[in-house]
Amino acid sequence: MDGSSHLSLIIDLSPSQWHLSAQSSNPHPLSFQTFLSHVLTFVNSHIASKHENTLAVFGALPGKSSMLYSSLDADSGNGNDPPADANSYRPFKVVNSVVTNNTQKELDLIGGLTEEPPVALVGALTKALCFINRLAHPPSGSLVDEAAASADPRILILSVSPDLAASYIPVMNSIFSAQKLKVTIDVCKVFGEETVFLQQAAHLTGGSYIYLERRDAFLQYLIMSFLPPPSLRHIIAVPRQDKVDFRAACFCHKNIVDIGFVCSVCLSIFCSPVAVCSTCRTKFPMKTLQRLNASRPAIPPANGVSNGSPRPPSARPSTGMSASLR
Amino acid sequence: MNSGSDSDSFDEGGLTTRGRKSKRKSGARASEKGKQKAKDQGYSWEATYARSWDTVQEDEAGSLTGAVAELLARGRRRRLLAPAAAIRRSIIRHLVLLLDLSTSMTDRDMRPTRFDLTLEYAREFVTEWFDQNPLGQIGIVGMRGGIGERICEMSGNPQDVLHAISERHKLEPVGEPSLQNAIEMARSSMSHLPTHSSREILIIFGSLTTVDPGNINETLSSCIKDRIRISLVALAAEMKICRELCDKTGGAFGVAMNEGHFKDLLFELIPPPAAQQNTGTGAGGGAAKMSADLMMMGFPQRLPDTAPAALCVCHAQMRAAGFLCPRCGARLCDAPTDCDVCGLMIVSSPHLARSYHHLFPVKPYSAVMSSQDATGSSANCHACALPFKTTPATNIGEGMSPFDRYRCQDCKNDFCTECDVFVHDVLHCCPGCET
Ligand SMILES: [Zn+2]
Ligand SMILES: [Zn+2]
Ligand SMILES: [Zn+2]
Ligand SMILES: [Zn+2]
Ligand SMILES: [Zn+2]
Repeated sequence: MDGSSHLSLIIDLSPSQWHLSAQSSNPHPLSFQTFLSHVLTFVNSHIASKHENTLAVFGALPGKSSMLYSSLDADSGNGNDPPADANSYRPFKVVNSVVTNNTQKELDLIGGLTEEPPVALVGALTKALCFINRLAHPPSGSLVDEAAASADPRILILSVSPDLAASYIPVMNSIFSAQKLKVTIDVCKVFGEETVFLQQAAHLTGGSYIYLERRDAFLQYLIMSFLPPPSLRHIIAVPRQDKVDFRAACFCHKNIVDIGFVCSVCLSIFCSPVAVCSTCRTKFPMKTLQRLNASRPAIPPANGVSNGSPRPPSARPSTGMSASLR
Repeated sequence: MNSGSDSDSFDEGGLTTRGRKSKRKSGARASEKGKQKAKDQGYSWEATYARSWDTVQEDEAGSLTGAVAELLARGRRRRLLAPAAAIRRSIIRHLVLLLDLSTSMTDRDMRPTRFDLTLEYAREFVTEWFDQNPLGQIGIVGMRGGIGERICEMSGNPQDVLHAISERHKLEPVGEPSLQNAIEMARSSMSHLPTHSSREILIIFGSLTTVDPGNINETLSSCIKDRIRISLVALAAEMKICRELCDKTGGAFGVAMNEGHFKDLLFELIPPPAAQQNTGTGAGGGAAKMSADLMMMGFPQRLPDTAPAALCVCHAQMRAAGFLCPRCGARLCDAPTDCDVCGLMIVSSPHLARSYHHLFPVKPYSAVMSSQDATGSSANCHACALPFKTTPATNIGEGMSPFDRYRCQDCKNDFCTECDVFVHDVLHCCPGCET
């Protein structure tokens, strides 16, 4: 509790989602500028809470991820120091200018794209985990001191994009790594629909998942829910969402399913009965396929999940059948 | 570092004790180590635990970096040797643990006694086993007084299994062990299992005798017929029948040299084994191939503690928290389970996902050797942003990069040593490839 705390902040920088978020037709429009100023106030409070607190900021951009700020590099002074200002506390000034400049730089880089690929949230998440792992095992002769190494680390994800079903397995792997590193993952869903995977991430690592309802009170949510480090949370109760959706993504169409067909050999999940497992090439017996196909119409449409309903088998099963008859 | 390289270094410790001792004698800090040296003398069973960190040698400058680099290098080589393609593993595992509870287990050659140590390691084994084989089941059978004794029925709940072996006084060693009786009991408890699950027996055996009612070779052939894999960890010495049981069923056999080695032997059996394509020596030539199947599973929704209370279908009690069956909406107390209303198998998806890294391992990174390669790309580690060395290191282990750069063959990004180890041993996905 007395120790310092490390925060790795992951900011979702999807231009299209931020555009949607800022539209005045929303009940509580939140523009990226307002969002960023709230976030900067929040990270300032984090470094102000304790002198030894460390901070890293990662940006999840369309198709790439990058580190926007790290308190390890900032100490060494890398040229983009802001001019001295008698009216502001220098560490705040440094963080604010570095994060703002780097965000601007990254957003300018993707400005030319005509089509926006999904944001690389997993890339940012895995980088944050590698960074925390590096803090835990400081290389000899580095600037990292003992305090930083013993910090109780956490990751806060500020998400605006929907779940990316293709990243189901890497997200799961990241969750298990976070458990091993004893990293708490907090999630604040700033805009958009609930994300199943991030709910699971917060639940499995003991963090809180908060869906932002009053988006005009964003800073208040940040300070009240996400400022106390995990070691303080048994004293300072933070709000958490206990309802967790344990759905998974199928391997074949990347649909998010609530009833799946699972290969007994490798546990791959499929949204409809298949004759051959695409992961391990196992052929399933005809009897099982017939039984499962017969029982399928009995399944009511998945409760309110449009993309969760199984699709009719396409060309895949027929090729599979010939394979299994051989 | 990971446990794998720990055990590597441990092996070395076990084999080179003699050499290490003499080095230590000539060491400058003899006074400090005097006490330990005295303990190191004499027979191995009088010695203390051989600890893996004792095998790490300081170099002339008194630094450990050389030794640590060697450990890392060994870990890298091991990864490069491992098959790159995803292999078939029988992940739905069923294991019966056979514990020797005969009087020979009261021997004190392992401390505190063979019996206490076995119980302690068995508990750790069960915990770790369920962690890596979330859908598996474990049963426990004890061998004492010439019979097999069922200690725990097959169960998928680690708490049930741990509870069964938590009460030491109920398991006091007595009499002679009977391998045949115990194996037959384990075999019968696995006879009903569906064909797509693996069947395994793990025996911890401290005796040098077995009292059997009949011919154990018949038991062996029926195990081969039933495709049961037998592994055995002997605490005393090798017995021919023990080795035969393992060899003919495709299991592993090992004799524990000391406490640490005992644990290593046990824990080597935790990762899911590659599925048996054909039964080893071909004794069971005509046996049907282990058949695979497609299973329908439901992924539930977990309700918060604040949800309105309702009757659960499993205990018919009012409960607030719980899981909802995605097919029939029934309220269940726990997952994984079978829905009591519609029979759907309910698992939470993280249960399944825990084993996926076996299926999609990250390809090994290649060490960047030439300075030409090194200067062409980013100056910082792609994952943790650590600046790379610009001048090549001189004394490096085989297979290590002088620039500390390891390049992913798919995304062409460079990673530092620490991240290379972390990505392959823990994270199991490449930060550069996951865009
Ligand atoms: Zn499969
Ligand atoms: Zn119940
Ligand atoms: Zn049901
Ligand atoms: Zn690195
Ligand atoms: Zn890569």
